[in-house]
Amino acid sequence: MGDEAKGAKPFDPMEPWRGMRDVYLDAWSKTMVDMVNTEAYAQATGTMLDTYLTASAPFREAVEKAMLKTLEQLAMPTRADVVSIAERMTNIEMRLDDLDAKLDSIRNQIASVGVNLRPEPKTSKAVVKKTAKKGKK
Amino acid sequence: MTDPVTDAVEQLKRLTKVMTTKAAIAQTPKELIWTLNKAKLYRYIPVVPKEKRHPVPLLLVFALMNRPYILDLRPGHSFVEYMVNQGYDLYLLDWGAPGPEDKNLKFDDYTLDYMPRAIRKMKAVSGSEEFSLLGWCIGAILTTIYASLRGAEGLKNLILLTAPLDFSNKEGITFARWTDERYFDVEKVLGTFGNMPGEMIDYGAKALKPVENYIGNFVKLWDNLDDPRVVEAWHAMNTWVTDNVPLAGGVFRQLIVDLYRNDRLMRGELVIRGERVDVSRIKANLLTVIAEGDHITPGCQSESIMSKVSSEDKELFRISGGHIGIMAGSGAAKFTWPHINGWLAPRSR
Repeated sequence: MGDEAKGAKPFDPMEPWRGMRDVYLDAWSKTMVDMVNTEAYAQATGTMLDTYLTASAPFREAVEKAMLKTLEQLAMPTRADVVSIAERMTNIEMRLDDLDAKLDSIRNQIASVGVNLRPEPKTSKAVVKKTAKKGKK
Repeated sequence: MTDPVTDAVEQLKRLTKVMTTKAAIAQTPKELIWTLNKAKLYRYIPVVPKEKRHPVPLLLVFALMNRPYILDLRPGHSFVEYMVNQGYDLYLLDWGAPGPEDKNLKFDDYTLDYMPRAIRKMKAVSGSEEFSLLGWCIGAILTTIYASLRGAEGLKNLILLTAPLDFSNKEGITFARWTDERYFDVEKVLGTFGNMPGEMIDYGAKALKPVENYIGNFVKLWDNLDDPRVVEAWHAMNTWVTDNVPLAGGVFRQLIVDLYRNDRLMRGELVIRGERVDVSRIKANLLTVIAEGDHITPGCQSESIMSKVSSEDKELFRISGGHIGIMAGSGAAKFTWPHINGWLAPRSR
């Protein structure tokens, strides 16, 4: 039985290197955290983003216009058309949800006066019978 | 005795797997009970008999720009699984990914259309008029706004995890510096993209600790390739971290202009669909959890809510760990989850 079986760590020649690496990463991490917390970093990233958005805007607009014309030529719905349909769908969903709420409210009111609107479904009775039969066996 | 070549091949296989595949996540059994647009409300299948269950249901509300399955990461390491086993009637509101048609969605829509409707459905399914809310990160902003405006409609317990609510300490909040109006043109970004792209949000979160996120994270994996448990945990977390969701343009604008720049929520100046959000109207029992090592939401953002609410029963709980680590890290099951359960259980009767 070697040291490994007794629970001791086997010698790892890379361990000192890992230790040095971790110390270095730790120091680098602290420096970077301090750096990203500066006004200069905020200004630099803001400028970079702004430059990218400005520079890419004409290209994006050209692509959008070309796509719009192509879709129109092909008698296909544009992105704006699809977005409009999606918005209408959400409105319909809201109306359905309102109806669901009203139905629940009506059901509760009827239930409160003692009428049972929700009889046991037939399928569940069948399941009960089957279970009972199995139990008898 | 193991063969070093076989070991190396096994480790290479593991590395390839975790870098090229998605882990199996969100495996706690659930049923879909409500949908609206991209939002979905799930109910987790109870495992505790009804007579032993807590009668007050609990709704989990996560951030808008990340997937909520961080709450149900993998079997044995899942807050959802833990709470279901503790006897809670548990619901999760998944906001989904907003499309171009959702670019105008605001906090107003999420808190006064989506949340009340989902809560109504939860009440109908659970049969309870009272309920508890747990909001995490941006989800905590949503639950706080909801609790201020509609809290009287049955909200019994409110749990806020790493809640970015107070934006007055500009020096202590890195995001506030980055999104300062001198450097960041929110209208230009939204004019270009419509919604705030998930990749940009992800970059912002990772750039707060660039060495840890871009290098240290992979060094940790490399060092532990021979430990399947560490690799499995890393794989699940990496699956979640790389699964980004855009943030609806309207919400992003409110987040930057109303909150990060002008601190309107805590100053009582935030107006949601014509109603002023007054946190002093919150009367529900309140548990606020602060992660002491949180670099995304520093503790100073969650403390002041305690003195502003009208809740008589309130507790501020500090725990060591990071923004995500306190709920999904290795210590979560030992410290955070039992504390939340210990606080919530007697208040869920």
